[in-house]
Amino acid sequence: MTATPESVVHPSSDAEVAEIMIDASREGVGIFPLSSGHRAHPVRGERPYLELSTTRLDGIVEYEPADLTLTARAGTSLATIDEALRAHGQWAPFDPPNVGERSIGGLAAVGDSGPLWMGYGELRNHVLGMTVVTGDGRMLSLGGRVVKNVAGYDLLKPMVGSRGSLAVVTSVCLRVYPEPSVDRVLLLRRDRLSDLVAAAHSVGTAPVMPVSSVLVDRTGVNESPALVIRLHGVEETVGADQASLEGHLGIVFEQAPSATALCTAVRDRGATSNVVLVASALPSALSEVIRALERLEPETIVADTYAARFRVGLSQADPEAVGNARASIERLGGTLRVARFPADGAEVGPTSEPSPAEKDLIIGIEKTFDPMGVLWPARSRR
Amino acid sequence: MTRPLAPDVVRGLTEIVGAANVITDPDRLLVYESDGLSAYRVSPRAVVLPGTSDEVAAVVTLLHLEGIEIVPRGAGTGLSGGALPTPDGVVVGTARMNRIIEIDPENRLARVQPGVINARLTEATQPYGLFYAPDPSSQSTCTLGGNVAENSGGPHCLKYGVTSRYVTGLTVVLAGGRIVKLGGAGRDSAGGLDLVGLFVGSEGCFGIATEIEVRLLPIAEGVRTLLGIFETMEAAGHAVTEIMGSGLLPAAVEIIDRATIEAVEASIFAAGYPTDAGAALVVEFDGTEAGLDLGADRAEKCCFEAGAREVRRATSEAERAALWKGRKKAFGAMGRIAPDLLVQDATVPRTKLPEVLARIAEIGERYDLKIANVFHAGDGNLHPNILFDRKNAEELDRVERASTEIMHLCVDAGGTITGEHGVGIDKRGYMSLVHNETELEMLRSVRAVFDPDRLFNRGKVLPDPLAET
Ligand SMILES: Cc1cc2nc3c(=O)[nH]c(=O)nc-3n(C[C@H](O)[C@H](O)[C@H](O)COP(=O)(O)OP(=O)(O)OC[C@H]3O[C@@H](n4cnc5c(N)ncnc54)[C@H](O)[C@@H]3O)c2cc1C
Repeated sequence: MTATPESVVHPSSDAEVAEIMIDASREGVGIFPLSSGHRAHPVRGERPYLELSTTRLDGIVEYEPADLTLTARAGTSLATIDEALRAHGQWAPFDPPNVGERSIGGLAAVGDSGPLWMGYGELRNHVLGMTVVTGDGRMLSLGGRVVKNVAGYDLLKPMVGSRGSLAVVTSVCLRVYPEPSVDRVLLLRRDRLSDLVAAAHSVGTAPVMPVSSVLVDRTGVNESPALVIRLHGVEETVGADQASLEGHLGIVFEQAPSATALCTAVRDRGATSNVVLVASALPSALSEVIRALERLEPETIVADTYAARFRVGLSQADPEAVGNARASIERLGGTLRVARFPADGAEVGPTSEPSPAEKDLIIGIEKTFDPMGVLWPARSRR
Repeated sequence: MTRPLAPDVVRGLTEIVGAANVITDPDRLLVYESDGLSAYRVSPRAVVLPGTSDEVAAVVTLLHLEGIEIVPRGAGTGLSGGALPTPDGVVVGTARMNRIIEIDPENRLARVQPGVINARLTEATQPYGLFYAPDPSSQSTCTLGGNVAENSGGPHCLKYGVTSRYVTGLTVVLAGGRIVKLGGAGRDSAGGLDLVGLFVGSEGCFGIATEIEVRLLPIAEGVRTLLGIFETMEAAGHAVTEIMGSGLLPAAVEIIDRATIEAVEASIFAAGYPTDAGAALVVEFDGTEAGLDLGADRAEKCCFEAGAREVRRATSEAERAALWKGRKKAFGAMGRIAPDLLVQDATVPRTKLPEVLARIAEIGERYDLKIANVFHAGDGNLHPNILFDRKNAEELDRVERASTEIMHLCVDAGGTITGEHGVGIDKRGYMSLVHNETELEMLRSVRAVFDPDRLFNRGKVLPDPLAET
């Protein structure tokens, strides 16, 4: 049963968010936090709920370039943040799909880093602080704005990636980086994706680590599958790194004429397909995972080879085929989940679950953040 | 006085781990009375040394049934009292669980038991051209279990990040003896909550990590190390700001102050630092050989512009070791000039360093205490170390008052009460400087999800021991 929200509320302060949560707890109304206004996941359930939009929680609160930290309210778009950072020769090295259109709160709640995590670490390692409002309206400040902080248990970690299931994010403090002076993108093309796996493995065991390494089924119309490698640094190091990788792989890369255009195309490829699945496994299982996913006859396949993380776009999902793919990938020690449900609310199929023991802990944590269960719409997908 | 364990409990523990691995002899318990925070000492009721996850689970089950508190312990190098015994508790040590289970070069992962010494993992992965990045200065003795519990950092965490960035999976034993696997490198944590990340840094209060999966990195092609000598700490602080603001990404940026230089040079660790200098700055770059001299040249320029008297550059591994020596041996050297050393730990935004350091010096003068600073400057992670004699009660009181002022100072500057050593017993009282009562209650509730009976490390981390008992 798919439900629709009764209405959308647009609080403009943490206190207003808290008030909404307290009212919702009292009235037994669910809350579904939303940030960018992108298509929401279908909410399963019959009880009434409201969407809580963070778009009015907008603006950069504090940016100290010399500290390489930036704090912004949850609804601030990554494009706005990027502009502020670039003016000081800095940037935030995260490249999930459509990153510019996302809000910082939404990004942190979803926890997507994008393939650049190979060179820079994951988003969860760069969220230094957050303010959040729990399901029952408690305002919490987690972490801070310093790079190292171990004062108490690290509640930021479960918050990043919690997708609205624990609390509403109202602001985020990020660690940022100096912009690299050279951003070079190298390509290797083959007729089939599986023909690139050996090269991807070699990159993964090379003495030089690129900042990202991505397999993509197509980089544009009529283009063949490619391995896309990104190197950051200064002219001298990027040249040396390229030579070292080419020596290690025994091949010569093609250099992409427009790094930005290509990276954007790869980054966003298939992210807005009708159904999007995310598979994860160890790099040693790349070939087998590709085989399992190709059986779904996907429209698009993009894989971050450092973690063997796949994004697969489907025009529609056959639940039985998805179940089979999941079973194969789980046998390899990996997982398969749905990142985007079909617009018509159709079933996608069974996806990977945490173990029962992990689930117990997850439920326990959800109850401490959201004792009244107000955030059930954000959890209803699981 | 510590109560001895009932004979049937000792018998039960002996059945699980063998008589050699249950310690109750008061003489042998002495070494477990404290960790690196030497000002506190408590004798445990017993020390148990299990050898496997199953043995840990059986020990935890038994102690839980008896309602006996558990204090997990690695190498005991912790500096916040995390492994300090509780008067009613039994210490469960991981010393025997010191096996590297697997090195997987293809996936750049290693799986280890918690008692593996940090430096040993890097040694073992070297033949594969790989290393384990987090490098606490205690790395030749501290354990990965302790690193996980404290979310430890180290000089090179400036570039590489701290422990939590590298831990991909854990097997943990929770209250009641449940063995639970969390995460795993092949699994997508975005599907659930990041339980691995939450366990890292839990200071032994959630359970015992019995197996740890970590990510490894390729060893950098080359290294350049600089040592800048400055007349004043302030000038060294400005050099740090310059270097970090110039777009460079050094691997490490460490400062040692005059008091520390004097201590080092007066010790058997003398490293050839000029004793009349106000501060020494170690800057290191690693990565692709072709870029290293460029980075080092620019950093050197920043040092001179900030007023460096001299900048030395290492070109060989031996020279590099010499430049680092003063930094690495600082704690050992200080131990020789005073009976006790309180290693403080706090973080401030990097831009606040010069101001905060000046205030710390002023606090030291006011309380007539010797404070020696050696710290991870690039991260703004301070270690103002106070030298004292624990037997002098009046001095100890001044140490405590000065510490409190330093904590307030760092928090007021936008920082926090601990950057890498953890809260343990030592910082419990300062938790309310950075968390309000609602947040503290939240921390208590989250701990209760893992350990509802407060079996593990009771009384650590959270203030108000009354609420804990
Ligand atoms: C000279 C010196 C230099 C240091 N330099 C640094 C530094 O640069 N950076 C830094 O971060 N720290 C540093 N430290 C602090 C200390 O070494 C670290 O905190 C280290 O991680 C502790 O490891 P350990 O094995 O000694 O743990 P212990 O001291 O035995 O225990 C530390 C905590 O971990 C818990 N614990 C231990 N094992 C487990 C387990 N398997 N499961 C669950 N909980 C467990 C204990 O209960 C305790 O709370 C330094 C200490 C010294 C003495």
